[in-house]
Amino acid sequence: MATKGGSGPKAPNRKAPPNAPNLKAFYALLALVAVVGIGWISWSVVNRGGGAATDPIVLTGMENAQALLERAQGVKAGNPEATAQVIVFSDFTCPACGRFTQFIEPQMKTEFVDRGLIDFTYYDYPLGPEGVHRWGFIAARAARCARDQGTFWEYHDLLFGRQPEWSYDVRRPPVDRFIEYSRLLALDADAFRDCLESDRHADVVTANRMLGDQLGVRGTPTLFIGGRSIENWSDWNAVRAAIQGQLGPMPVPADTAADGN
Amino acid sequence: MSTSEATAADAQFVRPEHTTGLPLTRMIMAVAALAGAIIAGYMLLYKLGVLASIACGTGACETVQASPWSDFLGVPVPLWGVAGYGAIFVVALLGIQPALAADRRVAAFLFFACTYAFGFSAYLSWIEAVRIQAWCRWCIASAVVATLLFLLALPEIGRMRRRDA
Repeated sequence: MATKGGSGPKAPNRKAPPNAPNLKAFYALLALVAVVGIGWISWSVVNRGGGAATDPIVLTGMENAQALLERAQGVKAGNPEATAQVIVFSDFTCPACGRFTQFIEPQMKTEFVDRGLIDFTYYDYPLGPEGVHRWGFIAARAARCARDQGTFWEYHDLLFGRQPEWSYDVRRPPVDRFIEYSRLLALDADAFRDCLESDRHADVVTANRMLGDQLGVRGTPTLFIGGRSIENWSDWNAVRAAIQGQLGPMPVPADTAADGN
Repeated sequence: MSTSEATAADAQFVRPEHTTGLPLTRMIMAVAALAGAIIAGYMLLYKLGVLASIACGTGACETVQASPWSDFLGVPVPLWGVAGYGAIFVVALLGIQPALAADRRVAAFLFFACTYAFGFSAYLSWIEAVRIQAWCRWCIASAVVATLLFLLALPEIGRMRRRDA
């Protein structure tokens, strides 16, 4: 038996050679990498996009029509004082709404909105949560997050214009796409993300949808002109005639009159 | 201490030639492979929809992940990454165990797996640059890990050629 400082045979030296890597330190480093990595992924699962409200919320007290009207909030364009009111209930995932935005809205804008002749109001009517309409709610919220930075209509056009790009993949909410769009419009992407990855505007979008239900909206787009639902929303001439019916006799522009003479 | 005792004790410190410097490169390899597996796992969770968004900063991870090249042979690319890095991690860990440190099969696996990972990563980087024209920072991080693994695997060529002790 080896003794301390003795001269007998020594026990085998189990110490690592002087230049050998320290296994304990190595395993500690591995454990650290694993803990940090797994912790970061877990945090990401919980926080990154997980907080983005994608479905309507429960609103209480909405049986009262007045309360609902106060909670619902359309986005206006044109002249709020105009006597002719045009309201559309729309969903960003709805292809027909995309066609309405592409073909009807620009003409309405040129002829009536830009000239301050009508009070045009856009209300959300997210059709989801099933199928291709799954992300209608969060898209409506995204547009309102853009509105917080003063670019609702630009964002609205972008969402409809790129609808196939973001609405078909129903596996996860298109949070990143929407943030990418905010960058395209030179918005503050961090503020936009904070808004989107929360439940901000979920109450308004929910209330808008409830308002549509109360008004008898059954699909999108549903167009109301002067309180009457217009079935033939895809026919610009029919829409124009209905608006003009609300406006009464239109004054003939001076240049047109001159040309006519 | 007598001369003979000193020789016997020192013999415990002397590693065989074929294991000299071996554990350190494989240790770094194991750490790098673990980091690669975590990165690939993060992208896989995003690809599968578990993560609603991916931290991408100024990159375009979403564009890359949504591209047709995000699957390889019908399997999501990040899943290949998790499997590949995971296998390298396990074998590198085995490779630092005394019983397997000199095993030429370990050396061969590490060399070929790391070379494949490097080549595949280079191919994906080319796809990002030329086809997709968008960069994902996590893909770049994975490419850096794959390059590091490849460099660390170069000494395995010599180890493959050595005769077992």
